Amino acid sequence: MTITGWLQIGLFAAVIGLLTRPLGGYLTRVYADERTFLQPLLGPIEKELCSLARIDPSLEQSWYRYALSFLVFHAVGIIALYALLRLQSAFPLNPQDMSEVSPDLALNTAVSFVTNTSWQSYGGESTLSYLSQMAGITVQSFLSVAAGMTVAVAFIRGFARRRAATIGNFWVDLTRGTLYVLLPICVVVALFLVAEGVPQTLAGSAEVTTLEGTVQAIARGPVASQEVIKLLSGDGGGFFNANSAHPFENPTPLTNFVELVLIFVLGAALTNCFGRMVGSERQGWVLLGVMAILFGLGVGGVYVSESGGNPALATVSVAQAQTQQPSRAGGNMEGKEVRFGIAGSALFADVSTASSDGAVNAMHDSFLPLSGGILLANMMVDEVIIGAPGSGLFGMLLFCIVAVFLAGLMIGRTPEYVGKKIGTTEIKMTILALLAVPAATLGLTAIACIVEPGLAGLGNAGPHGYSEMLYAYTSAAATNGSAFAGLSTNSPFYNLTLALGMFVGRFLVIVPVLAVAGSLAAQPIIPRSNGTLPTDRALFVAFLLGVIVIVGGLTYLPALALGPIVEHFQILSGTLY
Amino acid sequence: MTDIIMLALIIVCFALAMTYAAFCDQLLAPGTTRDATP
Repeated sequence: MTITGWLQIGLFAAVIGLLTRPLGGYLTRVYADERTFLQPLLGPIEKELCSLARIDPSLEQSWYRYALSFLVFHAVGIIALYALLRLQSAFPLNPQDMSEVSPDLALNTAVSFVTNTSWQSYGGESTLSYLSQMAGITVQSFLSVAAGMTVAVAFIRGFARRRAATIGNFWVDLTRGTLYVLLPICVVVALFLVAEGVPQTLAGSAEVTTLEGTVQAIARGPVASQEVIKLLSGDGGGFFNANSAHPFENPTPLTNFVELVLIFVLGAALTNCFGRMVGSERQGWVLLGVMAILFGLGVGGVYVSESGGNPALATVSVAQAQTQQPSRAGGNMEGKEVRFGIAGSALFADVSTASSDGAVNAMHDSFLPLSGGILLANMMVDEVIIGAPGSGLFGMLLFCIVAVFLAGLMIGRTPEYVGKKIGTTEIKMTILALLAVPAATLGLTAIACIVEPGLAGLGNAGPHGYSEMLYAYTSAAATNGSAFAGLSTNSPFYNLTLALGMFVGRFLVIVPVLAVAGSLAAQPIIPRSNGTLPTDRALFVAFLLGVIVIVGGLTYLPALALGPIVEHFQILSGTLY
Repeated sequence: MTDIIMLALIIVCFALAMTYAAFCDQLLAPGTTRDATP
């Protein structure tokens, strides 16, 4: 470990903390349909879009209508993206003459990007045409995160409204989120990335002659425009197979830092938006505080573990002490880019798995078992450590509901959260939402472990191979999308089962979440009394942390014990996989 | 043929998700909500 490494992590946390409040205020105004500084520019476009789509912005929807709109929108998105991938060879903007994508891979990719997962069983530069990258992948990156944010906002309205039959209009929220939040940030940051060296071109691969005299094709394309939304959306699907480890996606330590900020900034700001909309910013800070503690533990753990180097190499006298010299970085540098080092890689890996983004700037398969276990745990707690914009917040609010319910059982009072009574219906829906991801993750991993097509994809034996499988299904069901690598997943078995995991992780969570929103919105707001559990104090922070760790721990500890934990002890005894 | 199977899979999955939403809506019907505490 180095001081600069810790400073890098500290600076990142400080920047996120500083951006949370102003951006949270902006999001609140956007979703409350209040005037923003972009109104004169984007207001007419919004009006025109609503008019074209025949949307009446004043007409709100019940939670059920909202959920149906959400589902129909996603169904159309999956079918459209599937068709585009299958027919890409017949469309223009295909300078490398990419052939059509196979049916199972097209289905996996369509479900992946429409559900904001971005699991990639393919290499972008060797599989997709520019049209598929731009009109398929990039468009869905925008729409999937805008849709995720609408669910979070609808959930917040459930807490904020009293005796209301509606929770907003899905189509209006979707339009406003895309137009006022995502597009402006993406335009500005894409220009910054181009200035830093990220390509943005429709020309085909560059042909260059190497020093050895051979001709090499260097893939390029409209990278910068996809890169920004890939990070901002919590999507993470890279233009290149190597994702943010590729120098054309992430060329410098500065772009690495900006990309990290992009991944976290909207998710953090939504906690402030929640606080503002329920009338107490402290409630938002409490949620962000819990996220920050879990994030600090995770990133600290990964950084310490990777800095210490591989224990198996210590026995053969390999120098692993960290230095400030790039040529002698020390620690476990396997699978990491020298320009990012241990700290930049550990921070990116933790941010990416905590946030549901799934972008990578290092190969997670090469991380030490304990680090890999932390990355898995980040995803296993339903990615509530900031999470993707939208899903992280409503995931955390589900844990808040469980926490106040457990507290209510302890003290014998009706559970309340920000003025809303938590009844049996809310608890049932919350549990349905919280159980969907572990059921998909553990069930599909178990199936893959015993069937031939599942075992055929393994690149490593023993607990490491098992960790690769567990990671793949955890990443899919938690809609993260990062890959441990080492597992060959471009087969009909993995493409279809991972698509199923992503489907369950998105829709079987969001439907009950919207149901809870509808149920809460219909209630009155109960005034605070002496019997109300304060949810804006340090005690609740500790209690909520305990609930998240215990629920996550009890659900997944046996699965983790069979993979990264046992592998760690085997490395200590000199066994490598 | 494979494309038709894949599209049918997508439609069936979304039909199930919509049924799930309808089931949740039934659970939320007035009269089904009670206090969560004993």
